[in-house]
Amino acid sequence: MSKVPSLSAEEVSVSLRGERIFEGVSFNLKGPGLVIVLGPNGAGKTTLFKALLGLIPLDRGRVIAMGDDVTGRPEVAGRYLGYVPQLNTVFTGFPVTVREFIEASLTLGRGRLIKERLVRERVETCLRTVGAMEYADRPVSKLSGGQLQRVLIARALVRDPPVLLMDEPTSAIDPKGKEDVIRLIAELSRDRMILLSTHDPAALIARAREVMVFNRGIRALGPPSEVFRLDLIREVYGGSVYLIEKCIHIL
Amino acid sequence: MIPEIDPRWVLIVLFTSLTYGVISPVAAARRMYYFASSLPHSALLAAVVAYPLSTILGGEPVLWALVTGVPLSYIVILLLQKGVSEEIATAVFVSFSVSASVAAIYYVLTRFPVRESLWSYIIGDPLLASWHDVWYVALISLLSLVLLIPFYRRQVLIGVDRDFVKLSGIRIKLYDYLFATSLSLATIGLLKVVGFVMEHVLILLPASIALNVARSSSQALVASLTVSSTASLVGLTLAILFNQVPSATIGFVLLAMYIASLVGGRE
Repeated sequence: MSKVPSLSAEEVSVSLRGERIFEGVSFNLKGPGLVIVLGPNGAGKTTLFKALLGLIPLDRGRVIAMGDDVTGRPEVAGRYLGYVPQLNTVFTGFPVTVREFIEASLTLGRGRLIKERLVRERVETCLRTVGAMEYADRPVSKLSGGQLQRVLIARALVRDPPVLLMDEPTSAIDPKGKEDVIRLIAELSRDRMILLSTHDPAALIARAREVMVFNRGIRALGPPSEVFRLDLIREVYGGSVYLIEKCIHIL
Repeated sequence: MIPEIDPRWVLIVLFTSLTYGVISPVAAARRMYYFASSLPHSALLAAVVAYPLSTILGGEPVLWALVTGVPLSYIVILLLQKGVSEEIATAVFVSFSVSASVAAIYYVLTRFPVRESLWSYIIGDPLLASWHDVWYVALISLLSLVLLIPFYRRQVLIGVDRDFVKLSGIRIKLYDYLFATSLSLATIGLLKVVGFVMEHVLILLPASIALNVARSSSQALVASLTVSSTASLVGLTLAILFNQVPSATIGFVLLAMYIASLVGGRE
C-alpha cells in the first residue's frame, strides 16, 4: 500500500429516495494538498463525500482509497479517510466532553486494545495541534461554532488518516474563527490530502492545489488558475457570482 | 411517622428504577425518547395478546408477551433504517399498537376468562408483589442491564454522530436492535408489576434531570441512576404514607426533581 495520499472514484453514481443525485463521477487524486470541492447548496457535495466514505450505497462505481477498494465499506474507508462533518450534523444535546468525544476515535471498534495512557497522549497531541487544549474537559454543547469545528478536526486527525474530507468547515463560524480554521487547514494540507467542500471559496482559493467544480457531477477539475474562472463558476452558480478586487465572490 | 415498608416493595422499585435509570439516558442520547415512551403501548398490546396465546397454547403469559412484543418493536428500527424519521416511524407504530391493543382488550374481555385485572397493567401493582415477582423483576432487570451497560458509551456516541461511529467500524444496526431488545424486554417484562404509567415516567424524566446537571456521559448515567432510584424510594414511602398509588407519587417526586434541576443545574 502506497504512503502517498491517494483517492479515486470510478464512474460513481448515487441516488437518494429514488432521485439521481449524480452519475458517472470519476477522478483520481494523488499527493498532499488542498482540493476545494466547489458547488452551490444542493449540488450533492455532502452526498459525494458520504459516497466516498461508504456511508451511503452507490448505484454503481468504485471508490479506491490508498489503493484499497473501500466501496460501501465505511469500516475500511475510516482507516484512510478522516471525516469532518458539517457542524449541524453533530448532536450536542447530550453531555459529552471534548476529551470523551475525541478518545472515542481510538477506542471504538476494530477490537483495538490501546493503552489508556497512549490514548490520552494522542488525544492531547491532536487537541494541541488544533489549539483546543483549553476546552478539553468542557462539554461539546458549550463550544462555539469555531471551537466545535476545531474539535471535529482533532477527532478526524487522531487516527492520522492520509486523506481528510471536510464538509463546509468554514460555514456557521464567525469571521475570526473562520480565519483560524483556514490557517489550520492550510497547515494540515502540507502532509495530507484534504478535500474540502465549500460554496464560498474566496478565502481558501489561494491555498488550494486543485479545484473541483461540482454540481450534480464534476463540471471541472484542475489547478485554480485553470478552473476558477468567472465564466465557469457562473455556469454553475448563475448570476450570484461577482468579480471583486480581482477575486471571484459568490454572494 | 415512619411507615412500615415491606422489603419486597423496596426491591421491586429499586430493580425497576435501576433498569430505567440506564434506559433513560440511552434513549435521550439516541434521540429516541419518543420511541422509548411509545414502547409501553406495544407492551400493553403484547401483554393482552399473551392471554389467549397462553390459554390456547399453554406456557407463561409473560413469555408469550415477550415473544410477540420484542419483534414488534423491531418494526420501528426497520423503518428508521429505511430512512423514515423517528417521529413518523414512532407515530405509525403507536397508532398501530394502540388500535391493536383496544381490539385485543375487547377480544380478550369478551372471549376469555381473565384471571387478572387489566388495570394492573395501567397503574401497576408493586405493593401486591410476591417474592416470586421480586425474583422475576430482578431477572428482567439484570437481562436489560446486561444488554445496556457494557455498550452505554457506544450507544451515546451513535446518538451524537452516527456516521462517525460507522467509520470507526461499529455495526450500528446491531446496536439499534440491542437497544430495542433491552427496551422492550424491560417495558414488557416489568409492565404487570410497575404499570404503564410508571414506565412512561421512568423512561422520560431521569435523563431529562441528568442532562440538567451532568457534564459528561458517565456523569449523565450516574445522575440518571441516582435520580431514578432516589425518586422511586421516596415516592414509595410517600405512597404508603398518603395511601396513594406509587406510580403517581414517584412521578410527582421526579417532576419536583426536574424543576429543582432546572433551577439549580449547570449553566
